[in-house]
Parts: sequence; C-alpha cells; structure tokens
Amino acid sequence: MTIKVESNNFISLADVALHNEDLQHAVGEGTRAAYYKRLDTMFAHSDAHGEFMRQQAAEAKRRALRELPDLLEKTERNLRQNGIQVEWALDAAQANQLLLDIARRHGVETVTKSKSMLSEELGTNHAIEAAGLRVVETDLGEYIIQLADETPSHIVGPVMHKTKAEIRDVFVRELGMAPTDDAEEMVAFARKMLREDFLKADMGISGGNFLIAETGSIGLVMNEGNGRLCTSLPRVHVALVGIEKVVESVDDYVTLTQILPSSSTGQKLTVYTNIINGPRREGEADGPEHVYVILVDNGRSEIYATKYAEALACIRCGACQNACPVYRTMGGHAYGWVYGGPIGAVLTPLFVGLENAKPLPHASSLCGSCKQVCPVDIDLPRMLLDLRWDLVQAGESEFSWDLAMKMWAVGMTSPTRFNLGGLAARRGQHVMGEYIPGILGNWTKHRDFPAFAPKPFRQLWKERAASRNSRPARSPASCGKQDNTDNI
Amino acid sequence: MSAREQILGKLRGARQPFADVGPVQDRRPMIPLPELSPAEQLRRFISEAEALGCRVYQVSPNEALEQIMDLLDEDKKVSSWREAQIPLDGLHGMLGSLGVTVGAPDAGDTRVGITGVTAALAATGSLIVESGAGRYRSASLLPDVHIALMRAEQILPDLESWAEAQRAAAYPAFRQASNTTVISGPSKTADIAHQLVKGAHGPREVHVMILA
Repeated sequence: MTIKVESNNFISLADVALHNEDLQHAVGEGTRAAYYKRLDTMFAHSDAHGEFMRQQAAEAKRRALRELPDLLEKTERNLRQNGIQVEWALDAAQANQLLLDIARRHGVETVTKSKSMLSEELGTNHAIEAAGLRVVETDLGEYIIQLADETPSHIVGPVMHKTKAEIRDVFVRELGMAPTDDAEEMVAFARKMLREDFLKADMGISGGNFLIAETGSIGLVMNEGNGRLCTSLPRVHVALVGIEKVVESVDDYVTLTQILPSSSTGQKLTVYTNIINGPRREGEADGPEHVYVILVDNGRSEIYATKYAEALACIRCGACQNACPVYRTMGGHAYGWVYGGPIGAVLTPLFVGLENAKPLPHASSLCGSCKQVCPVDIDLPRMLLDLRWDLVQAGESEFSWDLAMKMWAVGMTSPTRFNLGGLAARRGQHVMGEYIPGILGNWTKHRDFPAFAPKPFRQLWKERAASRNSRPARSPASCGKQDNTDNI
Repeated sequence: MSAREQILGKLRGARQPFADVGPVQDRRPMIPLPELSPAEQLRRFISEAEALGCRVYQVSPNEALEQIMDLLDEDKKVSSWREAQIPLDGLHGMLGSLGVTVGAPDAGDTRVGITGVTAALAATGSLIVESGAGRYRSASLLPDVHIALMRAEQILPDLESWAEAQRAAAYPAFRQASNTTVISGPSKTADIAHQLVKGAHGPREVHVMILA
C-alpha cells in the first residue's frame, strides 16, 4: 500500500525536471525566497546566537534519541493520563489497519486530513479510499496535490513545483472554479469548498511535529489553521506520529517549535502553534470526543541501530531542500519517493533499501550547505559519503567508475608511472583538442576541458629550489615592504 | 509479540546513539530580549503583533464596545467565549441591548468571534488561548474576524517565560486544557506561487483589544 519507489530512475526523472522551465522557475524562486527568510530570522540577533540555538536544538533532539525507548514509554503513560489512546504500528500495513479499525469503531464515513509526511510514507490516503471512505487533504498545497493526483515535491511547500496558472487549471478542471489568476480568489474558493468538508467530517487525521514526553502532549505547527480544524471539529482525532518525534521536556519543545519555522519559512512562530492534550474536557462545547496517537516505526528502529541514527533527528523543516543546489534546480519529484533534497537522498535509501535508491547518494555535490542550514545540525554530507561507501561495498559502483579508479591507483602508486601519465596528458591534449570523445563527451560538450600545465609541479619545485640556492639573500632595506620569507 | 514490544525491543537492542551528549548547561531563549519594563513590553508586543498583520487597539471598555460594533457592521450575531472568560464585564448584556445575539460557535456562518486570552507574548506578538468550559476553540478559528480581548498585565516576554510559568503551575496548558494554541497573526498561506494570502482556513483578520 505504500507509494511506489522510483528512485532508481533518478537520472531520467531529473531529465524531465530539467526540461520543464516552469518547474525550474517555480522551484528556484520558492527555495531562494525561503533560504533568505531563514537567514534573516535565524541570525536576527547575531550569528553567534543563531549558531548557539542550532546547537541547543541539535542537542535536544539527540538527547531524546539517546533515551528513545524510555521516553516512548513515558510519553505513552502521559498521553494516556491525558485521555489519549495510544497504539503502536511496526509498519505501514499495521498503521493503516489501526487507522481503519478506529474509523470502523466510530462509524466514520468522511475524513479530513492535515499535512503529514509520515502519511505519505504509509500511503494512508490510498488505504482509506480502498476501504470505501472519503478522505480530503486540507492543507491548501496538499489539497491541490490530491486534486492533481500527484505527490508533494517539498516537505513544507508540497506544491512548490507548480505555477499559479497550473494551480488555476487544476481548480478549474477538477472543481469547476470560475477561471481567475488572482491567488486570493483561488484561496477563497478553496476555503469555501474545504469548509464544507470540515463541517461534515467524522474523523480528522493529523501528523505530529513533536510529542512531549514530560506532559503527554502533541505539538503541531501550521499557518493555515487546517490542522486546528482537523483536530477540533470531527468527533475523532487520530495523530500519526513517527517514534522519533518524542522530545524530553516542555523546554526542549519550546526551542524546537521555534527553530522549526525559523529555519523553514523564516517565521519566529507559525501562525498556529497547537498543543493537543486530549479529548474535550467536561463542560467543553467543542473538540473531539476521542483522541488517538498511533506511534509508527516503519523502519525507524532499524535506522536507529545504524551509523545513520542521526537522520532521525530531522524535524522536517525543508531548509536543506531550500539550500541544496541540486534540489533548487529540479525540485523533489526526481528523488522518486516521499522525501526530496539532501535529507531525502539520505532517508530514501534507509527506508526503501539502498538497492532501490542507488543514484540518490550521488545526487549531491557535497557542498555542505545542507548541514550548515540544518536546525539540528545533521551531518548530511557525511551520511551521503557513507552511503556511497555502502554502495561500493555492495558491489554497486559503476563499471566505468571502477575502471577509472583502478587506473588511477595504478598511476598513483609508482613515481615512474605517475610521471609517464603526466607526460601523456600534456602531449595528448594537443592531439585531442578540447573535445573528449566517449564517456566524457557529455561533460566537454558544454565546457572546455582545462588545459594541463606546461610543467608539472614537481619540476617547478626542483627549479625553484635550484634558483633559491644560487640567489643571494635580499636585505630588508632593498624591499619597499619588509619581507623576510626568503631568509628563513 | 506485540508491535509495542517489538519496537521497544529493537531500540533497546541497538547500541545507544549519542552517548556523548551531556545534560543542558546553558539554555537560552530563541529570541533574546533585554530586560523590559512593562511599558516597553507592551510596546514590543504591539509592534510585533502589528508586524504579523493584527490590528491592535488600546481602549477603555466603552471604546472596545464601539470598536466591536464597528467590526460587526450590519451583523446581528456574534460567537463569544463566556463572559467570565473575557476581561470586559457586561459585554454580552451591552451587545444584547444593541440587538446583537451572543452565542456559542455554530456551523461557521457567524462572521465575528470574540475570545479572551490566557497570555500574550512580547517577543513574537502572539496570543495564547487555552480551551476549556466557556472557552470555545472555534471562536478563534471558524469566523472570518477574530477579536481578542486582553489586559496589558497578561503580556509575558516570550514563549520561554510562558513555559517557565507553566512549570511553576504544573503545566495547566499542557495537562488540564485539552487544547492550547499560540496564535501569531491571521491565518495565512503561501502555497499558490509563494504569494502570501490571509484567511486560508482560519480568521483573515485578528483584532487585539488591550483594555485599560
């Protein structure tokens, strides 16, 4: 029931994106705007303070992961004390089944859903529809994605890859909206359509940005308010939450729930920072009668036991996507599964198996921006390199790469062969010119092949040493500026 | 073996990650503020809330009533928290005498909702509302226009100081209230071509009236 994995088609999917100018324009604009807003907010006080907060957040997540099994039990106890029912799911099938069991128990027909990346992993919408129930995505971006029958391309802005005209066409085609190019009119139209769904729904599904072990609370962040509607109006609220979302204390939560939007959209807080502590209490006129949390593993406990455990610290802010030159150029769909960008290039192989996502560890220039912007300082470049190493260990490197590396090793392990290689390159470039045939042809089609230096470094070094020995020492007085380097 | 036992077993079977991360030595607030006098705190709250797109008024009870009637325009009904939960005594009676029906939130066709707040934050211009008896969640959520009535004494420096006060009182907003929301401005979205549009699903206008 989980969504299809297309990550091994990365090259051809990227090619599609690279031939779609509208997409490139939309993604480029969206990611850059978010990137600069983040800088303004994170470092509004000082660079040192922003960096300090990043480390404070990083440690909060790592402390929680270190104590994860104990904290999960504590969270469960406190959630129950608050009147929230807790279920555990090992995988997607179990999670979706638990969800459908809850729906059946409460006679649910219509479901509204607020944004949840975990539910994308689980293929929850398909499971609900297959059971004959109606499910409506209510985050505006996710609503458009659902209408267009696509998948989200960005963790925070699921429809970042679409232009206004494309969105207009989806509304006109699927819902009969009167054509307009005014974003405000489109939002007003969607608000009206979705309001009816909210008022009809029997069950609301949400994700969970944080679970606070200390108090048994679910922390949600949102700007539109759809998450509040999903968790307030229907009789039943179910939160699908990954087991890695647990934090120790309210103090840690307070840091993380601020650094998340600061890193994501450059907001100090999202419009609604929602803390859910259970079903409506006695005397309350609204709020759900039943609240459930489904704690979902779906591969997380496997990752926990590896050198990639750090990936579980991710708070899904999308900052690494906004900063990544690869993501900025082609958007998220080419990564072929739920998560795109640097975090997707790491998470996808870990969740779906490296053999099903072989190109992703290479979908990076290792420039390091992703680590630099990460609010919890996840070392994404290190993990991408480790995944590349895993690929080699599994015999999954490309033949041409292996051959080149073997030849490199032959050349580099003997001074004679090294010198001969250099000589061949210097002479050979005049024969070949600027265009290299064969597998490097694509590379040199749009770039000049750099010319080799006429003299190799080792020869220059020898010549320089010879001239240094024969040259008399300059006196400081003979130079305009004091320079004693040659006398040392 | 249950899913719970399997998951916990796998986590406990793994080598504990991040064993080197120590306890917190020096915890800092996300938005550092200098020591603010109550008047400075009020000014900071107002400027932050306005930057978020809220309208802020410093008013007497009578002026507040006038402003509310203005915002109601021709509407003859309003949804409101119970009077004991808002810092404007006699508001419901006064609205009633002006021909306005005060009710609990309905299916969503009431255009204006009135709430109190349990606290407000200077650093971010935020309002904190806790659900409870007579404190309907929907009043700050379903209507197009949200009017929040508060007093200047309710302003705290930041989210960290609010959490501090919560701890001292055994976390009422996390344990007693079924739902607590920190509201920072009107509902908004930028999902359509990165263009900011107010009033996505919640109120498109937030009016904060600080009563003298």
